[in-house]
Amino acid sequence: VWAPWLLALGIPTAVGAIMILGATRSNRGIGPLKLPFLFTVVILAAGFCAALALPANETAASQLWLGLPIRAAAVIYGVGLLPIVVLPIAYALTFETQTLSADDVERVRELGRQNRATTPSLDEREAQSLPHE
Amino acid sequence: MSGNQTIVGLLQAALPRASQPAVIAVGLAYFAVIIAISVWAARRTRTASDFFVAGKGIGLIALTVASVSVSVSGFAFIGGPGFIYAVGLGAMYIVLPAAVTNVMGAWVLAKRMRLLGEARNLITIPDAIGARYRSPAAQGLAAIAILVGIVGYMATNALAMGVVINSIFGVGLGWGIWIGMGVTLAYSASGGILAGIYNDVFQGTLMAAASVLVFLFVLGYGGGLGGISHTILAHDPVLLGPWGKLTPLAALSFFFVFSIGSLGQPQAVHKYYMLRDPLQLKWYPLLKTLGLVLVLLLYFSVGVGVKAFVLDGRLPPLTSPDQATPTLLLNVTPILLAALVFSGVAAATMSAANSFINIGAAIVTHDLPVAFGRRVGNELGWGRAVTIVIAVAAALTAQLSGTTVAFLGIFGWGLFASTLVPALAVGLNWAGATRVGAMASIATGLVLTLALESAAYARLFTFPAGVTASAVAMVASLLVFFVASILTRRSAEATLDPDVRLVMEL
Repeated sequence: VWAPWLLALGIPTAVGAIMILGATRSNRGIGPLKLPFLFTVVILAAGFCAALALPANETAASQLWLGLPIRAAAVIYGVGLLPIVVLPIAYALTFETQTLSADDVERVRELGRQNRATTPSLDEREAQSLPHE
Repeated sequence: MSGNQTIVGLLQAALPRASQPAVIAVGLAYFAVIIAISVWAARRTRTASDFFVAGKGIGLIALTVASVSVSVSGFAFIGGPGFIYAVGLGAMYIVLPAAVTNVMGAWVLAKRMRLLGEARNLITIPDAIGARYRSPAAQGLAAIAILVGIVGYMATNALAMGVVINSIFGVGLGWGIWIGMGVTLAYSASGGILAGIYNDVFQGTLMAAASVLVFLFVLGYGGGLGGISHTILAHDPVLLGPWGKLTPLAALSFFFVFSIGSLGQPQAVHKYYMLRDPLQLKWYPLLKTLGLVLVLLLYFSVGVGVKAFVLDGRLPPLTSPDQATPTLLLNVTPILLAALVFSGVAAATMSAANSFINIGAAIVTHDLPVAFGRRVGNELGWGRAVTIVIAVAAALTAQLSGTTVAFLGIFGWGLFASTLVPALAVGLNWAGATRVGAMASIATGLVLTLALESAAYARLFTFPAGVTASAVAMVASLLVFFVASILTRRSAEATLDPDVRLVMEL
């Protein structure tokens, strides 16, 4: 009886936790992403819990929400569509500050140049292994 | 959601003969485009980097469409609608995670994989694990795990190609396998992943177009989603309950495996290396999610639509659930639309096969030698040779084993999830992870997934209430990863090179 409820709450928590783990930048936390993450966890949990909690009384006379019975609509539209409206937009809007900036890329490229100076790249190794023309 | 259920569905479907002139003509046109793209790509493939990671020079749109194409496989067209037909909306828990998986993957993996590729010239996923833990052994173990999964995917995709091509051209299953694998091999061996990417762009576009058109057609034919729902509710209302005919535990465990597990799917994760400019990742999750929604419209609409049309007598009862899509196409839709969808199914299986051939070739020619402290000279040449060997072996396995190879395809998604999510997705974001934790979790995922899925397939043991073995294996693998890493935490610092640390901190 209680196991579906644990999953209904545990899965959104796990999804939220792993997004926080990925979005956290050292010493800076997740900044403005708190709200989109909270929204996602809440909307997933609400969708699953609504499906578990609402009475299973679908009939031919049931009222439809956007073409589906209410419990199904909560899952299909709530869990399956609402996060799309929020998460990818939040990712794009916070990309430079929370994910990757041109400076970050340049720092890594500089490290790459240093690495290549000591370790040949795949193509360089391959060129070395081929007979000289 | 990719190949496993797909293929099992395809194999059990025994697709009806669709070899009408219009279908054959569209099929031939499809193969002509594939060949043209492959010839173009082969001329641009000059190095091993071109062959395995497209020279890290793919633009945002091409990468997005290719990633959508390789993510859905034929499951979105055949197995998925059949699953909805059989169990109702419970089958949606396989695709609902798409609302969060792409952006989750972007935060957790995309940036770090792409930057690691930049810093270290990495070309494979085991490369990233080897770099993260400074461990050729961990790289080798990850390579073996991926290779085991690929064996299943490849053989079952080869058989699925045979089924689809036989349905379109009526050439027989054996010839269908060899024609499909021959075409895939031709572009895989000549143009590597570069040919694969641009063929995926064409194939993904075809799949999206077919999906949207079928969705609109089904809604029009059924009197809108409301009309379809009323028909189903009048006959079998459980199907439109939030879990369909699954238990809540089974449906939710699907959601768990297909959400968190998406972080370990090599065919999608490998693509992060290929983006030309890391800053283009900004729009990648949004575009990929929208693309997936388009491709998955068919999955949902055909599943519920055919159920309603069978219940109200407009379509004959199906001999098996996987006949849902073919039955709709051959009885109701305009023949050109049917032809487009059949080509889309062929496209989906070939797209997945190409991606796995390429990943498998990279493992054999690159990761396994590295694990043993060696380097293969001329990786491009060896890559092409191994590509041929993998493709021929897959086709032979498919032809000789028949439908029993379907078993190999069942555990692919779960195997990748349980072996790669802890070590790769968590490991690239948690400095406390250790190589002991990584190797223990990969080994746990590999052994548990194989054991539990084999037991389930042989009907020796299943978890109660429909909980999937893959979900249990992934949880166990994660627990082992955390416990082993914490127990060996003193070594965590020593496994992080400065450049890897920088990539993890950014």
